[in-house]
Parts: sequence; C-alpha cells; structure tokens
Amino acid sequence: MANIRLQRLPSAHPGMAIGARFAAIAIALVFAGLVLASTGNDPIGLAGQVIGASFGSTYGMEDLGLVVIPLILTGLAVTVGQQIGAWNIGAEGQFYAGAFAATAVGLFIPASEPVSLVLMFAVGLFGGAVWILIPTLARAYANVNELITTLLLNFVAVLMVYYVSTDVWRDRSGMANSSTPRIPAEVPEFWGLVHWGLPIAVLLAIGISLLLAFSKWGYEVRLVGSNPSAGKYAGIKAKKHLITVMLISGAVAGLAGMLEVAGTVHRLQGGISNNFGYLGIMVAVLARGSCIGVIFSGALMGFILNSGIILQTQGLTTSAVLAMTGLILFLTAIGDELAHYRFVRDKA
Amino acid sequence: MDLLTGLFTTAFLAGGVLALAALGEVLAERVGVVNLGVEGLMAMGAITAIATVAAVPSPTLGFLAALAVGALFGAVFAGATVFLRANQVLCGLALTLMGTGLASTFGKAYSGMPARATFEGIEIPLLSSLPIFGKAFFSQNILVYLIYLILPIGLSYLMFYTRHGMNMRAVGENPAAADAAGIPVNLMRFAYVTAGSALAAGAGAYLTLAFVPGWSDGVIAGRGWIAVALVIFAGYRPIPAVLSGLLFGFITALGFVGQARGWPIAPAFLSMLPYLGTIAFIIVPVIAWQRMRRLMAAPAALGEPYYRSVR
Repeated sequence: MANIRLQRLPSAHPGMAIGARFAAIAIALVFAGLVLASTGNDPIGLAGQVIGASFGSTYGMEDLGLVVIPLILTGLAVTVGQQIGAWNIGAEGQFYAGAFAATAVGLFIPASEPVSLVLMFAVGLFGGAVWILIPTLARAYANVNELITTLLLNFVAVLMVYYVSTDVWRDRSGMANSSTPRIPAEVPEFWGLVHWGLPIAVLLAIGISLLLAFSKWGYEVRLVGSNPSAGKYAGIKAKKHLITVMLISGAVAGLAGMLEVAGTVHRLQGGISNNFGYLGIMVAVLARGSCIGVIFSGALMGFILNSGIILQTQGLTTSAVLAMTGLILFLTAIGDELAHYRFVRDKA
Repeated sequence: MDLLTGLFTTAFLAGGVLALAALGEVLAERVGVVNLGVEGLMAMGAITAIATVAAVPSPTLGFLAALAVGALFGAVFAGATVFLRANQVLCGLALTLMGTGLASTFGKAYSGMPARATFEGIEIPLLSSLPIFGKAFFSQNILVYLIYLILPIGLSYLMFYTRHGMNMRAVGENPAAADAAGIPVNLMRFAYVTAGSALAAGAGAYLTLAFVPGWSDGVIAGRGWIAVALVIFAGYRPIPAVLSGLLFGFITALGFVGQARGWPIAPAFLSMLPYLGTIAFIIVPVIAWQRMRRLMAAPAALGEPYYRSVR
C-alpha cells in the first residue's frame, strides 16, 4: 500500500511560492468582499466601480501613478535592507525625515528651481540616511535589533514634522492651517499629473537590482545576507556592508518623502506619509526580496490603496486598507510556509 | 509635595499600560514566540473596551471584553506561528497592521467622545494618606494593583518556582529537549501566546478606560512597541518588566507635567521622550554592562518555529 504523507522541503518551489502570494491576495479580497456584503454593500458592484475609476479614466490612472511612486521607494528601502538580513521597519520615519529636510531647503534656501530641486533631492536622501544612522550603528556595533529601534524613531519623526508644520514653519498667510507654505520648487510633470518621481523610482529599483546582481559589492552583500558565516569565512567585511546597506535603505525611504513634498503635495504637513512606510513592508514582502519585483508589487499595492481612496465614499477609509494589507501579509506568511510542503508517496 | 504626588500618580497610571503589555510579551517570548502584534492587539483592546462601555456602562465588562478579543486574535496569531510555523516577524507585523487598521475603522464612531464608564480610584484608608506615595499608589483603581502586585508576583512565582514554570522556560530554551521530556511544546506555546495577547489587549483597554479615558485615532501611539522593547530591557522577567514599565510611566508623566506647567519646551519634544528613552534604554545596557549579557539573554529558541520531524 502506498502511504501518502507531507514532506517539508528546505526551500519552497518558486512557482508554489508565487502561487501562495496570489492565493493570499485572492483570499484576502474575498474576505473583504464578504465583510462588505455582510454590511449591506454590493462587493461586485463596488469592485467594478473601483476598476472603472482606476483604469477607466486618465484621472484615475494619474492618481494611481502618484501613489505608486512612494510605494515603490518605501518597498525598495525595505527590500534593500533585507538583502543583508536587516529589517528596516522605520521607512515611515525616514520618509518624514526626507520630507522634512527637503522642505527646509525648498522653503529657506533661495535658489533657481533646478538648483533647488537638486539640493532637495540630495538632502532628501541625506535626511533618510541620518534617520536610520543610530539604529544602524547600534546594530553594527552592539548587535541591537534594528526592528524596534527603526520603528520607534517613526514616532519621533511624526512628532517632529507635526511640530514644524503646525508651529515654527506654519503657513501664516491663511491659505492653509496646519501645513507649511507652498514650496516654490516643483518636480516637473512627466505624464499628466504624474511627476518625474515615477521614472526615477523605477530606474532606481532597476539600478539597485543591477548593482546587486552584477557588482562585486552586490555579490558580497548577498553572500553576507544569505549566509553570514560563509561571508565571514570569505573575509568579507560584513559590518561595513551592513552599515552601507542600511544607510542606502534609509536614504531611499527619505527620497520617497522628498518626492512626495516636492512632487505631489508641495507642502509639509502632519500625516503626509499616508502610511507609505508601513505599506512599503507589504510591498517588499510581496516582492520576495527582488528589487524588480518591488515595481510590480508597488503597483499592486498602489491599486489596493487607490481602491480604498475611491471607496471612501462608501464609508471605507485608508485605515480599512491598512487592515486589509495586514490580512494579506498574514495570509502571505502562512502561504510562504505552506509552500514548503509537498505530498510524497511512500513505497510500501 | 503636590508636584511629586501628581507625577507619581500619572507615572503609575501611564506605566501600567506598558507594564501590562510587557507582561503579556514576557509570557509569549518565554515560550519562544516573538509577538510583534502587541501594538495592534492594544488598539483592538482599546476600541473593544470603549465600544463595550458605550453599550453597557461597566468598566469591568469592557476590560473583560478586551481580554476576550485579545485572546481571539492571539489564538489566530498563535495558530499561524506555532502550528503552521509561519514567520513570526511577518505575522506579528500583520497583526499590528490589522489591529490598528480595524481599530481606527471601528473607532471612527467613538472618536473624541469621553469613555462612558471608567475605572475609578479606590482609597485605601490610612495608607492613602502617606506622604507623596500614599495618594499615588493607595488611591488607584483596582487594575493598578493587579498590574503592579498580583500579576508580576504571581507570574514570577509561576515561572521560577514551579515545575510548570520550568517546563515553560524549557520550551523557550530548547523545544526539542522539552519535547523529548514529554512537555507538549506546541500546546504550551499556543496557550501562553494566546494569554499574552489577551494581556496586551487588556493594556489597551486599561489605556482607554483608566488613563486617557476615551478613544482617538492613534491613541496607542507606539506603546505596544515600547512594551516589546521593555521586555528586552527587563531581561524577559516579569518583575523587572513591570518596574521598567513604571520607569517609562515616569518619563511620560514628566512630559505631561512639563506641558501642564508650561516648561519652555514644545509639547512635541516632550512627547518624544518615551520613544527616545526606549531606544537609549535598549542600546545603553548592551554597551555598558557586557557582563550582564548572560543574565539578560533572550530565550535560546526565541523566534524559531519548532518542527518535531523534518524529513
């Protein structure tokens, strides 16, 4: 008699792993649909409305393009950290720090628009990197878990931005109540309302992906990330790589903040990040550590987020989207593990 | 002194939130499971409590309802991480996203309203008239005693002076050995992660029923993450966990007093204190007391799923 049992494989088959991700998203969507139906809504009608609003009009596509920019970048930030085994859960804070630094330059350093934009770009990167500096050094030199330190700094960054936008830098012209004045320099438009941030984000993802795949640096980073003891044996300076990678991760999240203020919102205000930092974790997890994958999972996450914004008229909010994302992440984690199993038939 | 009395009273209240959540996390981490969902569980507990007292004005009922909701979500998390062995970090983050998202969705209806019923202080005769500490500790609500006396002493006894506690710690240190000794590893993990999650949700309920009182979006404000960090600082022990919760309650209280007295520092900066303090408190000991490391070490199997038979 043949005996069927489950066998766990050390690594999941790529097809199974990707299948598990799609299954997770599908189950979460069905679940959300059931919840909507139970509250007296028509989920299929709403879904049609969402798809129509997102893809059926130029406006919809433009909105989608705008939310995809920060999602690709925050997702990329988390993915870059993962390459060397670091969990940067502080993309939210680095986003605020980048936005803060860019606003400071945009508002207070008088320069022509192109010069101003280049400076804002640079300080956006710098702000994000500064914001992850302490967690980075603590992880590298004292082995303090970066997960909690990066995360706690999110709250500090939120308070800092809240303070400057409602107090010292507040717009006193009466045009806006709890935000800074409009920043004069603007990232130029690339397609409709979508600014050049979109191609920048996509090119950055491709660039980092190429560096990781083909440079000596990338090889060493991936080796240390996947097998620290092998890296040590090969004489790779793991600490140096860890520091660079984490700083790059912070800088990319900071760039997301800079592009958001200089390209989309044009003012610094509390809540400017829209949870992009947290949603970036989701983008990175769905991308399975691939920087190119981030472009696609960022687009998917953007669609989900945009759907939430469209559904606001039905009483749904961005917090409902956050809950939904949590459910997808939860099911993905389960699916990832289940993808490791296969049925085998024992010979009798 | 009036200032000190106010400071300690607020410190006990604010610290209680962190202490209760940290106790829950101690339970989960001692059996080897990192639960990063504390923030989300607290949010769910907080809104459950507010919704319950809005329907039935009984703070006890609100607190119990929060415990039940916490246990429910905790059981789902534990089921996924212990039995299905899904990644603990991802599931914890997912639980936080779900919890905070759901809580602010449901919380919209209750936002800005004061809680309809709250835990009131009970004056203990004589003791409450002691200087400084009297008012702060002996005229508090019933949960304060549960958090600062009953739970830490009870859990400490359970963990370090009973056979069951030894089994529990064995599960977190070396699940394979525990399994060989006949301890039901997965069942133990499931039970304590669920119980710990209930306490985390209870901490959220305590926040909205006794400390803040009322729901507003973002009311948890990272306290769940601070609690997770405090567990490391406390070396995974119940009594130090509660004491470090109190220490952070004191830091929070200092910020409040500063705001009330109009110190020339913007409130936003005073509000940053607990977060910056937590970061300092998990970095400094590692550098300062190298020799303490063994004593403060995490359970050896923390974060690792246990497979009885991988073939």
